[in-house]
Amino acid sequence: MNALRQVVSRLLGHPALALAVLLVLWFWPGFTDRGTVQLLSFVMLNVLLAQSINLLTGVAGQISLGHAGFFAIGAYASALLTKSAGLPMPAGVLLATAITALAGWLLAIPAGRVKEFYLAMMTTGFGLLCYEVLKEWADVTGGVMGLSGVASPTLRNLVVLGWKINAVDYFHLLLLVTALVLWLMRNFVQSHHGRAFFAIQASEIAAGSIGISPGQAKRRAYAISTAIAGLAGAFYAHLVGYLGPDSFTIMRSVEVLVMAIVGGMGTIVGPILGAILFTYLPEKLQAFAAYQFMVYGLILMVMFLLFRRGMAGAIAEPARFIPAQALKAVAMNTAPASPRIDAHPAPLADTGQPLLEVRDLSKRFGGLAALDGVSLALRPGRITALIGPNGSGKSTLVNVVSGIYTPSAGQVLFRGQDISGQTHHEIAAAGIVRTFQDPRLVPSFTVRENVLLGAHLQFRSSMLASALRLPSVLREEKTLLTLAEEAMAVAGLTGVADQLLDALPYGYRRLTEVARALMADPLVLMLDEPAAGLSEAELGCLANVIRHLKARHKSVLLIEHHMDFVNDIVDDVVVLDSGREIYRGDMQGMRRNPAVIEAYLGLQQAHHA
Amino acid sequence: MGFAAGLILGGISVGSVYALIALGLNLTFLTTRTLNFGQGSLMMLGAVAAVLFAGLGMGLYAGLLAGVVLAGLVAGLTEAIAIRPIARIGGSMGWVVTTLGVGIFLQGFVAKYFGSQALAFPSFLFSPRDHISVAGVRLSAQYLVIFAIALALVIAFELFLKRTAWGRALQAVAMDPDLASVMGIPVRKVVTLSFIGSGVLAGIAGMLVAQITGTVDSAFGFNLLIFGFVAAVLGGIGNTWGALLGGVFLGVAEKLVGGYISTAAEQGIAFALLMIALAVRPEGLLGEKEIVKV
Repeated sequence: MNALRQVVSRLLGHPALALAVLLVLWFWPGFTDRGTVQLLSFVMLNVLLAQSINLLTGVAGQISLGHAGFFAIGAYASALLTKSAGLPMPAGVLLATAITALAGWLLAIPAGRVKEFYLAMMTTGFGLLCYEVLKEWADVTGGVMGLSGVASPTLRNLVVLGWKINAVDYFHLLLLVTALVLWLMRNFVQSHHGRAFFAIQASEIAAGSIGISPGQAKRRAYAISTAIAGLAGAFYAHLVGYLGPDSFTIMRSVEVLVMAIVGGMGTIVGPILGAILFTYLPEKLQAFAAYQFMVYGLILMVMFLLFRRGMAGAIAEPARFIPAQALKAVAMNTAPASPRIDAHPAPLADTGQPLLEVRDLSKRFGGLAALDGVSLALRPGRITALIGPNGSGKSTLVNVVSGIYTPSAGQVLFRGQDISGQTHHEIAAAGIVRTFQDPRLVPSFTVRENVLLGAHLQFRSSMLASALRLPSVLREEKTLLTLAEEAMAVAGLTGVADQLLDALPYGYRRLTEVARALMADPLVLMLDEPAAGLSEAELGCLANVIRHLKARHKSVLLIEHHMDFVNDIVDDVVVLDSGREIYRGDMQGMRRNPAVIEAYLGLQQAHHA
Repeated sequence: MGFAAGLILGGISVGSVYALIALGLNLTFLTTRTLNFGQGSLMMLGAVAAVLFAGLGMGLYAGLLAGVVLAGLVAGLTEAIAIRPIARIGGSMGWVVTTLGVGIFLQGFVAKYFGSQALAFPSFLFSPRDHISVAGVRLSAQYLVIFAIALALVIAFELFLKRTAWGRALQAVAMDPDLASVMGIPVRKVVTLSFIGSGVLAGIAGMLVAQITGTVDSAFGFNLLIFGFVAAVLGGIGNTWGALLGGVFLGVAEKLVGGYISTAAEQGIAFALLMIALAVRPEGLLGEKEIVKV
């Protein structure tokens, strides 16, 4: 079965298959009747819609139950622009696509503030609101009577560049547009932009920790996804010639979601299969039409439990997110030899100036002071351990410095500049990177893909260049992939580079996260209990990474309970207890310090000041 | 003056039904941090079943009772098939989709086997023509009774939560299910009962709405569910008094917009309110902000 999946995957990835399918579809209308041509056109529209929701929900993880709203905006916009404003059809379609993208971008501003079921509710509200507007704003939309007489092949009044378009021409146009969108989308998903969407889906905080702005990524995901939905809507308007609100109900949104889920979210081939299935079933199977709602309901109920990866998952290997050409080139070592890219020019050897300085930092949660006036300084090329009993404020310190919490008082200075109050992705972009107590990675990515994610900020290719897969994009991909191989070698991950993350044991995941942080090329790296749960061999790999950074004059802050590990590697130690510093100095001094002993062994003595 | 007062009182009455829907949503949110996206279909199911059972000659009130019981049972079943198995999948995408699936299935089932035509819903409280005059304003008796029922249920629910052993158990599960389980609270049973309770509330709310509109059909319910969401979100999800406050606020806003601006905008305003409330203050008027743990 697995061998079969591999064969299918290789076939699906092959350009010859895509070309063959395209040719078959192109000539099919010559051998069939008008009804089938219409049906094929609907398949194309549904493929576009399913890909649209796939990009937003399957790739970027933002659930949408209101996609019919965007479909409607595209449809009505193009219909009105051509019918009332008299624009030619191509201009109408392009403008309608742009308008829908703008609507999606605008919706992302409130929608980006909420997650999960709140987002499901908000998009439901949006979809229903659009439907209400279509129904009630009769002066513009025609209300329940709808808009008729939209230029279309059915009405024989669609003329493009002086050329009268019939149903077969229209299908050909739609086929080319759909193929183009699929190609662009495949390229986009296999670029750092697409991988950033997956990172947002897995964990916004982790994505921020390597410099990906969750807000920006979501706005982009909404705008691109809704542009595709708007494009589908515009083509729908000119396919059928009549628009009424009943084509854009909440059930339409559900139907689009069903197609993508059944086909397989997060892949390109899945939503295509789903769209084909759910265009043909109601058309060809009378019985299906009667049970349509029940079938949709059942699918939504069981699909997530039984076949999480949908039809695509059943027939093919999971999709990969690095262009195959780049991978192959790097594997054969033909990638352009490149000097190591240093995003942040390395500071000179220890000048005595700290890279990161924390001054009198406090963080209160209600009445609880998790941090109470802590100060510390991290110098280049030095490894500082931050230790203390559970609840002493170590992780809070890392969270405040990395911008996840705002400090209640005090300052965080990075290279002399106050950075407190900046967002976590801005702080990461400045060069302060952290890892988490529980590794936060993209479970559906391989180790290599996760590690490459760390280089997000070093990628310079624009979204358009990535979607077109210009040669410069592939060159950049190869260069950074070579660096990822280096980072994996340092962290001892080379042997598991192609393994899916969620199939790996805990220790490897931890090291993957550390390697991802290394890839971000930080000036300051903060590791939150990186040794927890690691084997002896894995501890060696971790020590390797830390020494690698030290040798490059970076600062490392290490939160750790594993004293032997800390003992071997650190230069300075800071001990916290109840949010205050109780010791600062070297390891030997710490072991003899009475305050530290008291904090750890809990001697019943008077409160230390 | 009389016009405005009529609108406001009508709004309070409709809003109190929204509050009941919100209360049902709150109940499952408290125990499992999930909201049943099929709740709208439960309202529909309760009301349709009541009409059908009553038609079988078992009497109107027995029919109503049977409808409420059925809604409760289906809600309990929903937990078992659409929420419990999905718990291992992190995040909320799983249960949003599965509970939505249950709702759509029920809608399709009723449409297929009982027709998608609207069924007339019998008047059981007061006929729509009964009126009471208060200070010169003619008030629909039905509206007053509905408001009274909703208020009574909200108060009863709050007393249940605060004063009874099961209510305290429910609060304990809401706080921390693992800890509650360690302390010997039958978490499983509390969760199931919370869903049954939620279904019962949905059934009652469905019948009260059907009472106002006079008919029910299979598509009835989805918009109501959204109004319930709006009420719950406005008041703060999980908060009983918040549900009442949010529901009444929504009902009054809807009626005032309908009366003074345009009846066409009456529904739209609820959806717009939902989006604004979620964007501006997702924790609601009476809710507390959840602290993000890292």
